[in-house]
Amino acid sequence: MADKKLSKKDAFYRAHAARLRLPEEKLRPLYDDELDGKKGPNEPFEVPDKMDVFFKYSYGGQSRFFREILHNERLMGSKCPKCGKVYCPPRSACPLCYEATEWVELPGTGKIEAFTIQHYSTSAFVTKVPFLVAYVRLDGSDFLMMTNIEMDDVGKAHHGMPVKVVYRQEKSGAMTDIYFEPLNV
Amino acid sequence: MRDVAIIGVGCTNFRGRHPDKTYFELAYEAAKAAFADAGIDKADVEAAVYGIYNDFFQRQYQPDAFVHDYLGLPPIPAVRVNTGGATGGSALRIGYAEVASGLYDIVLVLGVEKCADCYDYNTKNPVPEVLRAILYTSDMTYDNPIGRTAASGFALAVIAHMEKFGTPTAEQMAKVSVKNHGNALKNPRAQSGMKITVEDVLKSPKIVDPFKRLDNCLYTEGAAAVVLASRRKVADMHPKKPPIWITGLGAALDWAHPGNRESIAEFHGCRVATQKSYEMAGITDPLAQFDVAELHDAFTGTEIMSYEDCLFCEPGDGGRLIDDGTVWPGGKLPVNLSGGLIGCGHAVGATGLMQTSEVVWQLRNEAGARQAPNARRGLVQSIGGTLCAWTVSVVLERVD
Repeated sequence: MADKKLSKKDAFYRAHAARLRLPEEKLRPLYDDELDGKKGPNEPFEVPDKMDVFFKYSYGGQSRFFREILHNERLMGSKCPKCGKVYCPPRSACPLCYEATEWVELPGTGKIEAFTIQHYSTSAFVTKVPFLVAYVRLDGSDFLMMTNIEMDDVGKAHHGMPVKVVYRQEKSGAMTDIYFEPLNV
Repeated sequence: MRDVAIIGVGCTNFRGRHPDKTYFELAYEAAKAAFADAGIDKADVEAAVYGIYNDFFQRQYQPDAFVHDYLGLPPIPAVRVNTGGATGGSALRIGYAEVASGLYDIVLVLGVEKCADCYDYNTKNPVPEVLRAILYTSDMTYDNPIGRTAASGFALAVIAHMEKFGTPTAEQMAKVSVKNHGNALKNPRAQSGMKITVEDVLKSPKIVDPFKRLDNCLYTEGAAAVVLASRRKVADMHPKKPPIWITGLGAALDWAHPGNRESIAEFHGCRVATQKSYEMAGITDPLAQFDVAELHDAFTGTEIMSYEDCLFCEPGDGGRLIDDGTVWPGGKLPVNLSGGLIGCGHAVGATGLMQTSEVVWQLRNEAGARQAPNARRGLVQSIGGTLCAWTVSVVLERVD
């Protein structure tokens, strides 16, 4: 019966904070006017909400790409036995020949094809700016891979700059387990 | 195939937020306006196509079913289309096919989007959370985790174009922003009409190189609707307003992983879609044959790339058209008299149909202060997805 002692305001913020897994102070005082009865009967009524779904996601035929990074710090591509093209990110079938591909190890080096500096980003990344997003032409691959380049001075990145893969110490089995840095650091 | 006309259009105001309306209430406003404009009753509609992009924006999966309910259209059939920024154009394409095939005589095509209920509680700002919602439509395995945005995808293409051709320059891109914000001043539905200078654009905060804040389109809420009719229906109805005919339509879906394309310095799919629509409509000299064009200016640099992909000029020469006045009001082919996505706004699912409405108003001589003189033929370009995966290109004509 402890809930009965909470004010309307405290009950509202506590309930939403628990449901959204956000600290109460992130929500306060955005809804105070509503809770204090200051809104007219026909003004928009806003409430906190979120949508989420948990997964136990399978990488399917691309599993080995992430497993080799996690366990062996190896960068793998997939090669079409018919046309010889090598894909990274990998594909278990060649979309040009409709043939099953074979795994090949890549040297993990390449050159920047195009890059941009993010000065603003999504709520998941907005505190990490500025950072580099680039298309890298990997040695041994026929296609471009989008990736992050990490370097002390992002202003020194340039078209054609040689880069190499770096494996993070703490891995999570996701694409963020790798990034690239200038080859000559 | 049967000839298909647009007999009515309706468009809400494009605003950063409509806190007083849900997505289905915005849809209702646009549909009601389009039915009135067409001079039809909702009971005349035989099928509907809904363009709605992001389920997170609406806070609702399968939002089309609830729009259909709110519009009172059951039990006629309806289908929802989602092709990113090209959603509005794609919805128009499906509606066109349904009428051209003979399946129906009157089809409602309606686009709606309501993004700014997304909210980032850490920065107390909707935009970072809007971007996060958008990034669920990037490749979730390889692209989403690295913090890229829709802007950085297009930025990479513009940068690759600059590496290849030396254009567009920062000044040329800034001029597009000046033009489109200026055009929006004459559009009462526009979100961001502004009289600004090239200097203002260049000094605005960097977002994603080479784009500054004023190089970007807007996050917008709104709805737009178009009523399509077969030639037979048009003949029966004797509509008060001149029907606007869809004489050309082309579409493409390019590699969604742009790293698999031959080049990221041009939008090949966009060019293919454009060529298809031009072949169908008999367009051989677009600068001479079009009187107005509404192009998908998600970013200033991509509007300039679109001049090239729409064959207004040679590859690499797009910057010249903003420098020499061609695409400005009063120029040979004014582009985005509505203000475009940069000035009028980008209410994703509604955008292609807002652009379509603008061309219809121009061709009917109903565009008020922004009217292009004697406009008879116009182009709508609707693009979406990572580095322009989807394109829909539509040629509209008035034939009196």
